[in-house]
Amino acid sequence: MENYLLAMAVFAGCTALMALGLNVIFGLAGMINLGLVGFFAIGAYASALLTVKLHLPLVLAWPAAIFAAAACGVAVALITARLRGDYLAIVTLGFSEVIRLVASNEIWLTNGTDGISAIPAPGRGVLSPLLFNLQFVVIVWIAVGVAALLIARLSAAPFGRVLRAIREDDVIASVAGKRVLRFKLQAFAIGAGLMGLAGALYAHFNAYIAPDSFQPLVTIYVVLALTAGGTGTMRGAVLGAVLVVALTEGTRFLGGVVPGLAPVQIAALREAIIGVVLILVLTYRPGGIIPETSRTHRLETS
Amino acid sequence: MTLRTSRRAALLGGLAAPFVSRLAAAQTGPIRLGTLTPQTGAGGPYGPAMVKVAQALVGEINAAGGVAGRRIELVSEDDETNPDAGVRAARKLIDVEKVSAIIGTWASAVTTAVAPLCWENKVMLFTVSGADSITKLPHQGYIIRTQPNTYLQSATAAKYLASTGAKTVFALSAQTPFAVDSYNRLSDVLAQGGAKAVGDVIYDASKTSFRSEIDQALKTKPDALFLNSYTPDLAVILRELFRAGYEGRKFTFGYAANAKLLDTVGAEVAEGLISFSPSPDLDSPAFAKVRAILGAEPDPYSCQVHDHISLAALAIGKAGAGTGTAIHDNLRAIGDAAGTKITSAVEGLKLLAAGKAVNFEGASGPCKFTPAGDIEGCRFRFDVAEKGKYRLLSLI
Repeated sequence: MENYLLAMAVFAGCTALMALGLNVIFGLAGMINLGLVGFFAIGAYASALLTVKLHLPLVLAWPAAIFAAAACGVAVALITARLRGDYLAIVTLGFSEVIRLVASNEIWLTNGTDGISAIPAPGRGVLSPLLFNLQFVVIVWIAVGVAALLIARLSAAPFGRVLRAIREDDVIASVAGKRVLRFKLQAFAIGAGLMGLAGALYAHFNAYIAPDSFQPLVTIYVVLALTAGGTGTMRGAVLGAVLVVALTEGTRFLGGVVPGLAPVQIAALREAIIGVVLILVLTYRPGGIIPETSRTHRLETS
Repeated sequence: MTLRTSRRAALLGGLAAPFVSRLAAAQTGPIRLGTLTPQTGAGGPYGPAMVKVAQALVGEINAAGGVAGRRIELVSEDDETNPDAGVRAARKLIDVEKVSAIIGTWASAVTTAVAPLCWENKVMLFTVSGADSITKLPHQGYIIRTQPNTYLQSATAAKYLASTGAKTVFALSAQTPFAVDSYNRLSDVLAQGGAKAVGDVIYDASKTSFRSEIDQALKTKPDALFLNSYTPDLAVILRELFRAGYEGRKFTFGYAANAKLLDTVGAEVAEGLISFSPSPDLDSPAFAKVRAILGAEPDPYSCQVHDHISLAALAIGKAGAGTGTAIHDNLRAIGDAAGTKITSAVEGLKLLAAGKAVNFEGASGPCKFTPAGDIEGCRFRFDVAEKGKYRLLSLI
């Protein structure tokens, strides 16, 4: 049981990192990004290939994964610079599918649909599974903590203020003399970099990645984590990620609680419960569990 | 002082008691097996029937007194046809449910993702996935696959083609991870049968015309064409072959030559197309049992799950212990050629309890495995398209 809980804590941490990344792009800068699984995949593949094929150490592979994902983030942001709202959502969704198709077809590089196995990680096979998982929980959650702190500082700084201004109305921001495109590129790079880091951590913990691991469903869970937790707040993003993993995994234990159901019915019930809980959260807490407090409002009252 | 020590001892004893009883339970409590099948996602049409067969069979074994005096408890998880969800489900099965075997992984990506967890935790993995790469993993014997891989399928195709008297064979293959391996194996086995593979073109399946590929193939005047295709591209190829007036043999996989193909191209174009597919052992009593459980014609995967459960139960019966390692060590001993031939686990468990050797043959076939964990051979069926219908040519 402990092993299982620790492994789920690692997955929750990866989801939290992605939710934090999305929080910069969507929560602060207001750009709808449905392509985040693409950045997750780039981070995972970059780190996996560098360590498996070029035998680079993790301390180099992980920063490289962040850089690769951030660079792709900048490229996507440049291509989509003039797109907003639904259009941006569709193009980014398309981007993540392109990444998955490239991973399936460029067999010489990615080994195609067979995927990459035996991705190294410190202590695999040497440490007991319990210690190995524990080590990854520590690594992943330190990353989450540092990322949350840094982004919270960024959000409180003038940089964050400009992003929020762009979110509310980018014309006004540019009239005020802010170079909107540059801020958007920076936000995309930071967000995509965090998703890339999540991908790298995931790949090395899991030891195996394949194009099928990067389905749009991952994006949907992260978007749900952020909106349920509270768009725009760091604690909300992390709490939402934990909630989503707890929900998707906790419902596995339904079989023991509700007797007399066939596994296919339990599978359907799981999906229904996950959907209903998220609808309830968003109905009764539209701003998420920890909503963003309005800073202008605070100014007025003080 | 003495009082204190005894108190301490009592305390220690009290603390240790749950562990002791848990240890005892591990040897007398139920043996747990897990199914990890697709209940949702692309594999969703297959998973429910697989679990139904597994549950019915476990029920039957328990009703007959269980295995080695213990009951089998089945825990079923959904892999969502997704490697990520599959890994989480497998972790639950291994870490929380403490299963000795995971049965029925379907998608190759799920099997590859779950496999390392299994061999690291000494849990046996029974799979129906086809990708050749799976049994090449460093699995230390903890993977058993009942689905014939590309290697075996290509060899079977080559043997059949050689037996029909074809001297030269040309292959047209859609671009897949197994296209090259498949042709190489075809070529080797044809050579053993006195025939020759004269060439291979790998094409992009999404193209709408294959004129140049077909010209290239027909230039060699092959006796037979091996069409390693999927249904949409096969339809285009058959039409163009018909137009080109090709009269040699056309040979393809059963998954490509389906009812939809006949609807698309019509009877005349498809005439004479021979297709082959791995087949359950249609005459086996085990196959009849799977059919009775499902109340419908079983698919190959349900038949294989029947065999997975039976193999696991028999190996445990042979070992007298319910661990993954026990299954791993005794799996091949229950296919003892000198033993009594059996097709049901209950029957076999009785013989094993009486100290006799058994030779298990299941619903999917003989269930003999290579050292790498691949099935040595299975039944194949050959069908020919005649007047817009498929007719069973032979079952080998």
